[in-house]
Amino acid sequence: MPQSVTVRVRRPAGRPVRIWVPVLPVLLVFSPLVVLAGLVAAVACLVYRISLLRALGTGWRIACALRGTQVDIGQGRTGVLVAFR
Amino acid sequence: MNEQRKDILDMLAEGKITAEEAERLIAALERDQPAAAVVGARPKGKAKYLRVEVYSFDNGEPGRVNVRVPLQLLRAGVQLAALIPPRALERANAELHKSGVPFDLTQLKPEQLEALVEQLDEVTLEVDQADATVRVFCE
Repeated sequence: MPQSVTVRVRRPAGRPVRIWVPVLPVLLVFSPLVVLAGLVAAVACLVYRISLLRALGTGWRIACALRGTQVDIGQGRTGVLVAFR
Repeated sequence: MNEQRKDILDMLAEGKITAEEAERLIAALERDQPAAAVVGARPKGKAKYLRVEVYSFDNGEPGRVNVRVPLQLLRAGVQLAALIPPRALERANAELHKSGVPFDLTQLKPEQLEALVEQLDEVTLEVDQADATVRVFCE
């Protein structure tokens, strides 16, 4: 699972903005929302007759595999970088 | 180019050996060193990331898109295909058919997609145009 997410935004004017988000602490802070999202997902699984365990397993695998993902988009002196580390 | 091959080509250039002799020597050299030739090559199935690089020149400014996706993420994403409800697949099929793409998504099995991802590390795609370059490869 990624430990942190780095977001860097470069604008033509001004200094680049760099945001470093530690995943685990943020998840802990937003844990009530995470639980709520989990409940909504569980209801959706029941409505659409999808195996809840399978869905949870797939979601966990995707979250774990995110580490190393990097998206860097730029145009001229403007740019956005999102990196999962 | 390795040293021995260079020596053979030098001898050919100096006229010490004929082209046929040079060809025989190089063939013998390749026979003797089949393993050495692939030492630098990446072992099959060892790629970790799928890279997509796009460099373009729009409105007088250079643009770039550089995406690195772990192959593990693609493999995990393939599992999502198994979670799509049959009703949704049927509707997607109908829309695809309407758009002139007669593709049956219900016949697409996760194992087939997994096999596709497995073979991805051998894929290198390069598109060169005057104002844009696209490169898709695994590393």
